[in-house]
Amino acid sequence: MRPRWRKVLADLFGNPVRSLLVVASIMIGLVAVGMITILHRTVSDDLREGYQAVNPANIQVRSVPVDDDFIRHLTHLPGVQDAEGLRVFDLRIRSGAEQFKSIRIKAFADIQSAVIDRVRLVEGRWPPGEKEIALEANRMVDVKYRVGDLVEIKLANGTLRSLRLVGIVNDQTIGSDGGGAGFFLAPIQGYITRGTLEYLGQPDEMTGVHLTVSEGQNDLAHIQAVADRVLQEFERDGVATSGVVVRRSTDHPNAPYIEAIKAVLYLLSFLVLFLSGFLIINTLSALLNQQIEQIGVMKTFGATRFAVIGIYLALVLVFSLLGLVLAIPLANLVAYYELGDIAPTLNFIARGARLVPESLVIQVVIAFLVPQAAALYPVLRGTGLPIQRALSGAGSSAEMEMDRLTLWLSRLKGSSRPMAISLRNTFRQRVRLALTLLTLALGGAIFIGTFNMRASLESFISRLGNYFIADIIVTLNEPYRVGEIQAALKRLPEVETVEGWATASGQIVLPDGQAGETVLIQGPPDGSVLVKPIMLKGRWILPGDRHAVALNEYFLTRFPDVDIGDTIKLKIGGKESEWTVVGFFQFAGKNIGLMAYTNYDSLSRETHTYGKSVDIRATSTRKGLSLAEQEAMSLRVEAYLTGLGYKVKESRAGQTIRGRTTGGLDALTNFLLFLSMLMASVGSIGLMGTMSLNVLERTREIGVMRAIGASDREIFRIVLAEGILIGLISWAISLAAAFPVSAGLARAIGSSIFGTPLPFQYVLTGPAIWSGVILLFSFVASFLPARSAVRMTIREILAYE
Amino acid sequence: MQFHPTPNGSRALIRLEGVCKSYSTASGPFAALKSVSFEVKAGEFVGITGKSGAGKTTLVNMITGTDQITSGEVWVGDVAVHRMSEDRRSRWRGRNIGVVYQSFHLMPSLSLIDNVMLPMDFCGQFRPRESRARAVELLREVELEQHALKLPSEISGGQQQRVAIARALANDPPVIIADEPTGRLDSVTAEVIFEIFAGLVRRGKTIVMVTHDQGLVERVDRVLQLRDGVLDAA
Repeated sequence: MRPRWRKVLADLFGNPVRSLLVVASIMIGLVAVGMITILHRTVSDDLREGYQAVNPANIQVRSVPVDDDFIRHLTHLPGVQDAEGLRVFDLRIRSGAEQFKSIRIKAFADIQSAVIDRVRLVEGRWPPGEKEIALEANRMVDVKYRVGDLVEIKLANGTLRSLRLVGIVNDQTIGSDGGGAGFFLAPIQGYITRGTLEYLGQPDEMTGVHLTVSEGQNDLAHIQAVADRVLQEFERDGVATSGVVVRRSTDHPNAPYIEAIKAVLYLLSFLVLFLSGFLIINTLSALLNQQIEQIGVMKTFGATRFAVIGIYLALVLVFSLLGLVLAIPLANLVAYYELGDIAPTLNFIARGARLVPESLVIQVVIAFLVPQAAALYPVLRGTGLPIQRALSGAGSSAEMEMDRLTLWLSRLKGSSRPMAISLRNTFRQRVRLALTLLTLALGGAIFIGTFNMRASLESFISRLGNYFIADIIVTLNEPYRVGEIQAALKRLPEVETVEGWATASGQIVLPDGQAGETVLIQGPPDGSVLVKPIMLKGRWILPGDRHAVALNEYFLTRFPDVDIGDTIKLKIGGKESEWTVVGFFQFAGKNIGLMAYTNYDSLSRETHTYGKSVDIRATSTRKGLSLAEQEAMSLRVEAYLTGLGYKVKESRAGQTIRGRTTGGLDALTNFLLFLSMLMASVGSIGLMGTMSLNVLERTREIGVMRAIGASDREIFRIVLAEGILIGLISWAISLAAAFPVSAGLARAIGSSIFGTPLPFQYVLTGPAIWSGVILLFSFVASFLPARSAVRMTIREILAYE
Repeated sequence: MQFHPTPNGSRALIRLEGVCKSYSTASGPFAALKSVSFEVKAGEFVGITGKSGAGKTTLVNMITGTDQITSGEVWVGDVAVHRMSEDRRSRWRGRNIGVVYQSFHLMPSLSLIDNVMLPMDFCGQFRPRESRARAVELLREVELEQHALKLPSEISGGQQQRVAIARALANDPPVIIADEPTGRLDSVTAEVIFEIFAGLVRRGKTIVMVTHDQGLVERVDRVLQLRDGVLDAA
């Protein structure tokens, strides 16, 4: 081997700590980029392919009862692959001694041969037989049943029925019916065979048909065309439909959350590349500074600049290779750990570790490009120095000269001599300081931005509270006279306001006359105090309005041609009617689906429930009840109404919906926190590198200080103070840098999940926690270099070249 | 190195003509060399003396081309050093001038033999196998063959300077420039180093050596005395 290449190896192994720092700097960036690429790919694939594998329904039709012959007939329609009947109904499941929770039960027409919306058995067996039930795994925390237990179901008339729990299953189609608020708002899910219907007081009739298309499962236009044919058959047979949903086989209900995660991943991969680049420039600049004298010597003995550049780029190449070799397995390890964490939260099945070729390619390309590009500046600078300057080791003399700021800082009144030295040391390598600060500040900005993004989300979701002002929402099994209920509830001293709302699930009638997506329609009474809309355009419903609707913002995305003053057709209870659009309000975007508000009178006349309601909302005389207090109140009110003979289907706290939605977004914020900690560790490795190199470069100076009487403790204090000072400066910068980062995150995540940017929020939680984290990182990053500085003997230090 | 008559017709190996070198400092320009002119013939052993700051190191840097002159001319053989780019100077210097420094400047991470082989690697005058044999031979000449695989930190200062001399001879240059080669050594070791230089002169090498050592000054062929950047006697 030629001596110049032996020098490359000697430099690599001669100073293992320095080499480790450089390799770690390269590796951490590669790990982050690799992990991001793997996650990006696997999350998308697993979500899409995993969902496709359960053979999800492409068309879901809700209707009045249909017979089996009609369902069989549908399978013969052109474009239809399979059609299965089912009955979905809500009852209540015992979740505690006196507590019942809502359960949505899905009864299959023929559970043995069902192929659509397949569930995955987690525990026990499938399918359940008669008087048996399987429960969905995601909501098992809400009830404490185990396989083999008897599950108690409360029927609409209050009768209790026991079903044997035979299986726990995972159902990826939860939330796919599109009309509700998706997976996170879904109640407990149960699955039974048709034979159990009668036992649960249900007629042996199917009220829905799920169909798959024979081809073009991912072509929405084609699916819609098949759905239109199916609906024509319903119409021809005189079977009234109340809702239809069309979906591609790859459209997992939680895809918007994944889109948000992907948007964040894009943003972060961009930032990580910057971070990694800064880190590499920093460590390589320091390395080159240490080699300046050797560069001078090599040039003295015949090395051209090109030859010297070749030596150092070869060294960087070896560093890159080592970083790459370590980064590939580590990136996979972290990515698949995180994938395993996200999958159950977002209700998809992680298919486990596998090779993601593009991650490898990206890592290899970055490993060979970024460090070389980052090294180019310090290498060109180092090799371009005149030989005499290089030989005198004064490569960085310009940087080492103290400017006025440094002098001023080191002469601050009241600062001790060691503190003055720390201050001076901090500022004398300004380029290195700037890069270290940039790395740490960016990590900090992302960390703080995560908390701000969470606050933005919470603020956005708390605005949803404007639509759920009631402390309790009682759903009754059948419509009762609003006046009677109001009178009954007003007798309770804790109840202040009582309103009976009209609710309906309708369908938007498309220009071609076909019924389209489901629209959730709410009808609060005139002058309702339990809703405070956030208007985007137009106005809210006014007392006396007839057939006027205010639409949520998702209409603007789905039907951009619809505007104020236009008339839309809604199909409610099988009957079409025209409604005038008076305004658009802000709700929760595409996450919730289409929503419309009208007044009680207009809606209750359409549903033939005028003067009656199944949706009773009430407030407490005490303001600002907590979720637990609301839940307790709902239990008391339910018991009271049941005692009076009312058939209560469900009674829940007003904040439940808010809580569930926020809970769903926890997956996202936890993921972001995980990523920001990764960023923070990149920053801390950078700081440790800077501190180690600073101490290494000043080995002789430290030796002189010790020789003239500085104690180990004082040396320790100087090095620690320097590290902590850098940490604190970076903290201050990150406070400002967090503004654009937070805004970017709020925009990316808001657009992905809700179709609208989240309101910008800046909370102090992030800066407060980050200050602790950065102090800890700074301490740890300076501790090791400080310890090595005091461990060397004065003789060793003074002999240091 | 070929010897061609220089423009004034002399056959000097090294010729400096009106060389000036000034540096810019915080207190304004500082003239380190003020119109220095002299010649060194092939095979001469020339000493350069002067007080600290007189410009001795600057002067030899002008000859080696490791620093750029402000004005004047520097010729080594038929080569106008002052006209070459730094990269060309590096390659030329590697082949034609051996440099020995007071502080040795060995590569700390390379073994002694690799340190000696490095100039041969850069200049490509010898094939790899030849260069290894030559490095061993050079180390034998300075009596360090048995330490060939050691690192510089594992040997004494005197031994390091002997390695530096072996390295300076790696490409068999006709000229050796030594900047206070004995400055960091005790008198016994300094004597050993001087004897090596004297031997090289006997073998036909031309040596220009900066030194403070009065004892050594008396033993060179000719002494150039520098005072405040001006040559006193030639």
